[in-house]
Amino acid sequence: MDGSSKNIQFSWGKRRSKGGAKMDTQFYGSFTFDNVKYSLYDCVYLFKHGEPEPYIGKILKIWEQNQAKKVKILWFFSPDEIRSYLSGPVMEKEIFLASGDGTGLADINPLEALAGKCTVVCISKDERNRQPTPREQAVADYIFYRFFDVGNCTLSDQVPEKIGGLEVNDLLNPKDEQVTSYTCQDVQGVDQKLGVGLVAPLPQSAVKMDNENLVTAVIPPMSDAIPLPPAVKEDDKAKAAAVSLPPAVKEDGKAKVAVAPLPPAVKEGVPKPTQNIPKRTEKDYSEKMPSKKLKLSQDLTSQSMAPVPDVKVRPGPLEPLTRQAVDRSKWFTPLPWDEELLAADEGGRLVYIQNLDIQFGASDIVELIHEALQQSCIARPINHPTYDDPNNGKAYAVFRSKKAADAAILKINSGLVVGGRPLYCSKGLLKVPKSSGALVGHLTITNQRMGQRQREEQKKAVSTSHCSQPNTIEYDLALDWMLVREKQTRKFSILHKKHKEERKSFAAKIGK
Amino acid sequence: MADPSDEQANKEDYADFEARVKRTIYIDQLSPQVTSQVIKAALEQCANVVNTEFIVNYTIPYDIPAAALVELDNESQAKAAVNLMNDFPFIIGGMPRPVRAVYAKPEMFRDRPRKPGLKFEISWVKQGDPEHDGMVKLKGLAKRQEAENMALIKTQLEAENVLAAQQQETLDANYKKFDILENIMQNGNIKNLAQHYKVKLADD
Repeated sequence: MDGSSKNIQFSWGKRRSKGGAKMDTQFYGSFTFDNVKYSLYDCVYLFKHGEPEPYIGKILKIWEQNQAKKVKILWFFSPDEIRSYLSGPVMEKEIFLASGDGTGLADINPLEALAGKCTVVCISKDERNRQPTPREQAVADYIFYRFFDVGNCTLSDQVPEKIGGLEVNDLLNPKDEQVTSYTCQDVQGVDQKLGVGLVAPLPQSAVKMDNENLVTAVIPPMSDAIPLPPAVKEDDKAKAAAVSLPPAVKEDGKAKVAVAPLPPAVKEGVPKPTQNIPKRTEKDYSEKMPSKKLKLSQDLTSQSMAPVPDVKVRPGPLEPLTRQAVDRSKWFTPLPWDEELLAADEGGRLVYIQNLDIQFGASDIVELIHEALQQSCIARPINHPTYDDPNNGKAYAVFRSKKAADAAILKINSGLVVGGRPLYCSKGLLKVPKSSGALVGHLTITNQRMGQRQREEQKKAVSTSHCSQPNTIEYDLALDWMLVREKQTRKFSILHKKHKEERKSFAAKIGK
Repeated sequence: MADPSDEQANKEDYADFEARVKRTIYIDQLSPQVTSQVIKAALEQCANVVNTEFIVNYTIPYDIPAAALVELDNESQAKAAVNLMNDFPFIIGGMPRPVRAVYAKPEMFRDRPRKPGLKFEISWVKQGDPEHDGMVKLKGLAKRQEAENMALIKTQLEAENVLAAQQQETLDANYKKFDILENIMQNGNIKNLAQHYKVKLADD
């Protein structure tokens, strides 16, 4: 993908003190990034490249120094991350706040690493914690009441006095009922160590939205209908207003709750990386939401003929792919492409094109459509390297509206020929079965008489990787597989070659 | 579209991309449970993994193994890794089916940059044009080839299932055998059996 645009919206919010050895560090209490407002103590998502699940953290500090914008994040652990220290039941949506001292408590990251906000509600019965209402708890993305001490690696439900030098009060539930806001976005990050050690004075509770946003968000839900004009005027408003739709779906139009999920910017919505869609219901909800949002703003813009903002936003999801993610282990480049696909399919804007030259990249296809149909779209080639015929390139193209998609299909099928290859296309997503959990050919020993510990050991043993040595049974079995595979590869290459020849001779015959 | 500075940027982009392709390997026959951490740990012995991108299956309507494009530090590491996995059955995350590795090709990357100099000529062939028939037939050919491809995939997946079932059976049988042996050793029956068949247990 080309074109790494650096135009992600950003603006600072509340200024706070200055600091640093040379008084060159400016601390802030809030900022808006990619049209999402983040404040101190907000809970945020950060993706790591290649990891299906995001990391969750709490913003402890926000500052800028030498043109670099950074945030200090206090981590939450998912049950999987501390599985070996967990005993007993784990609640639904439960995560664990890091406490104590040591690595893994908190990290400094570039502000651009943030991928959206989420709601985490503390349900600890400690007197310092404002008890959440049942509704708050139900709509929250996550809950926590236990703390994981990173120094001792112990789990506890006792609320510590301080975490990371901050009074624990700020880290528990804010005094006012929070307005939830979430959805992830596309960003990336680089990690570095900075030694700024000022303890930020406590801002009054982290109300996630300031008043004006609240007002804009409140108005649409009152009508409980699609907010037409505001949505079209600018991207920001569109996103704010579009909120009202999805809550109506879930909560039978309770206006108050409709305020809750104020969606951040990018219409392309949640960039959940490829495979795993998190199982939490709340998250599924958030998945649905952006897709409705997309459809909504899509229809709106096409109605009111203001395609420009839309087109500008469209290329958005393609860009993050060019930003890199350098290690420490928590940084990402999430792919909104899959969300985009689902959303487009729902809106009838998804077209599946076949018989392309497999050399065409995503931008080639986009250009092709542009030239041939005067339509703009996002497209990606989707061939599977192992199985798909390299003579027949396939791609998904997402158009701006259902009409555009329909028109495109008609035109392409009626006779678009590219470089001697007649293209053909159809609407909608291909049905691809969800992969079953395990690979065919991974054998297990069904034995009931193993103790708990033995079973765990065996699980660990199976998941270590190695080169198979010739002195094991496994080696023979593995060789069988290699044989099968070799045969398969040959079969495929013969078939694909044959196809190529067929095409050539056919084309010659019809005199092209 | 093609003004000189753009072209230059394109060329550079593409050159970077090609360098990346050279040091990336394509691993498939992976278990869907394998994560990038596992791959990184697995390849540690011969290469450092910079980046893992899992291939999402959009087109094959069957339950196929997972696959990933793994970017390593440099080309020689890529060579080493591919050679290793070709010489020995390399097992990742489950036995005994080994993974397969090949060098990556540009077409495998779904978000590749423009190839500079790639031209496509568009033409419209409508009904009534002399070429129309030919085009329709070509389309038909393409569709038929698709179907053939899918059929091949299906038969292969079936063959894999058969092999897996067969291996599982053998494994179970062997395991049972060893289990029985172990049992009779443990509960002392073996001594009785030895006596009964007048076979010496010890090697003296």
